[in-house]
Amino acid sequence: MFHWLEKHPFFFAVGIFVTIAFAGLVEILPNFAQASRPVIGTAPYSTLELAGRHVYIKNSCNACHSQLVRPFKSETDRYGHYSLSGEYAYDRPFLWGSKRTGPDLMRVGNYRTTDWHENHMKSPSGVVPGSIMPAYTWMFKNTADINTAYAEQLTVSQFFSTPYNKPVPMKDGSTKIVKMGASTAEANALALAEAKVIAADMKDQDVKDAVANGQIPEIVALIAYMNSLK
Amino acid sequence: MNKLYLGGIIFTALMLLFTYMSVIGSEGGLHGDIVNMLAVAGAVALVIITVFVVIKYVRQMQTDTADGQLADEKWDGIGEYLNELPMGWAIMFFLLIVWGMWYFTVGYPLNAYSQIGEYNEDTAAHNTKFEAEYASITGDRLVEMGESVFLAECKVCHGINADGIEGKAANLNKRIEAKSVKLVIANGSNNHLLGMEMPMPDRNGLFNANTSALITDAEIDAVASFVANGMAGAGADIFAGVCASCHGADGKGMDSVAPNIASFTPALVANVLAHGKKGAIGEMPKFDRLNAKQKEAVGAYITNLSK
Repeated sequence: MFHWLEKHPFFFAVGIFVTIAFAGLVEILPNFAQASRPVIGTAPYSTLELAGRHVYIKNSCNACHSQLVRPFKSETDRYGHYSLSGEYAYDRPFLWGSKRTGPDLMRVGNYRTTDWHENHMKSPSGVVPGSIMPAYTWMFKNTADINTAYAEQLTVSQFFSTPYNKPVPMKDGSTKIVKMGASTAEANALALAEAKVIAADMKDQDVKDAVANGQIPEIVALIAYMNSLK
Repeated sequence: MNKLYLGGIIFTALMLLFTYMSVIGSEGGLHGDIVNMLAVAGAVALVIITVFVVIKYVRQMQTDTADGQLADEKWDGIGEYLNELPMGWAIMFFLLIVWGMWYFTVGYPLNAYSQIGEYNEDTAAHNTKFEAEYASITGDRLVEMGESVFLAECKVCHGINADGIEGKAANLNKRIEAKSVKLVIANGSNNHLLGMEMPMPDRNGLFNANTSALITDAEIDAVASFVANGMAGAGADIFAGVCASCHGADGKGMDSVAPNIASFTPALVANVLAHGKKGAIGEMPKFDRLNAKQKEAVGAYITNLSK
């Protein structure tokens, strides 16, 4: 058989590939399947949070901010518990980032609040002296794209069985149900209801007026996303 | 003499000369320290061995002829001699197999190291050190520790001087702002600043004992500026009539009833850090990453600020 393989390089290459691939599958897949299950406390993103995630990606926040806390004492002191792979189960794509020009944002929802984000996005150096982050004033004017967020929700719920409208276990033993609208109109209504809660904690009158009129500025969606990062 | 040997000797001499010159030219020179001497010895050995080995094999290539018995099989026309297995090589090969078995079954350091294990060890070591060095500090050292924690965690909202950055967060150099007093009188408060006291009623539950009527807008304004002013100025009578029954005549609060609104106390600050707070300006998140001593230290620092 080996002589035959030596005389047929193509099948020899196929044989090598199959052997190595099989070893790889046996070693990697079971662990990977185990580790990539959502950990308890990880819930899918709501429509508004997902719209905020799109704003985050659109403005390349991940170019300067990572979302990956490494298991070092210095990092866990500053950012909280080190990241687990299951915490990214609903991140498509994940936003680990590869560079920290600004701080890590993996758990920013634990130690910053809506009003701080509002001040900070308007004028970063106003709250953090010496900050080199630019102001993102257009987020207060642009309207968030709820329809695209809803389309993503529909897609992931159908193709990846992301548990929308189903109870998801939380850390304190309770369950949480993340709602997804049955139609675009319902999704927009759900997002608006969530946006009203955020806008109530904000100071910017234009943003408050826009939300009262049924529009959702990008900043509201982004803050909803930031607050969901825990 | 063969040209090859001559070339080898000249090359060796040149290399040794370069080695000598570079060592003499370096800091410390030839007698600088033992490392220099070792490096020189190594370089000399390397040059001599290299020249010797190269000459040996070049000579062999020049003079050697092929002999021995060829194997029957050929691979693309290339034959192979039937050589005896070198004994030293064979012994090493079998030893390596034994070592490999040992390494796969026992020796492989799969359980000896993990990144999380190292993190846990680091954390345990840090906590032990923290306990030993800081668990019992008091007074100025506690305030100092509080300041460093404040600068790491709190300054992002409250500012380096704890002045709240122009109203973006609470000014911690004074106990309370008038608008915060007005907010809790108008809406009541369920912040549980002491942990488990009764919630404060809103204005529909606040009677002025002096007038036997609900607190009025004018009285709210007056008592708010009185409290914000550090329990001084006009409005003392309203405070005595409305607020003193829970917050005490001097505003210093009562255990399990109402918090101190005349000054900060470490326990109050520690409780806000543990549970967060939503007030007139905005929402403050909880900081349960801080340990009990760090919270106490921040409490001491903030209490010290407004003294």
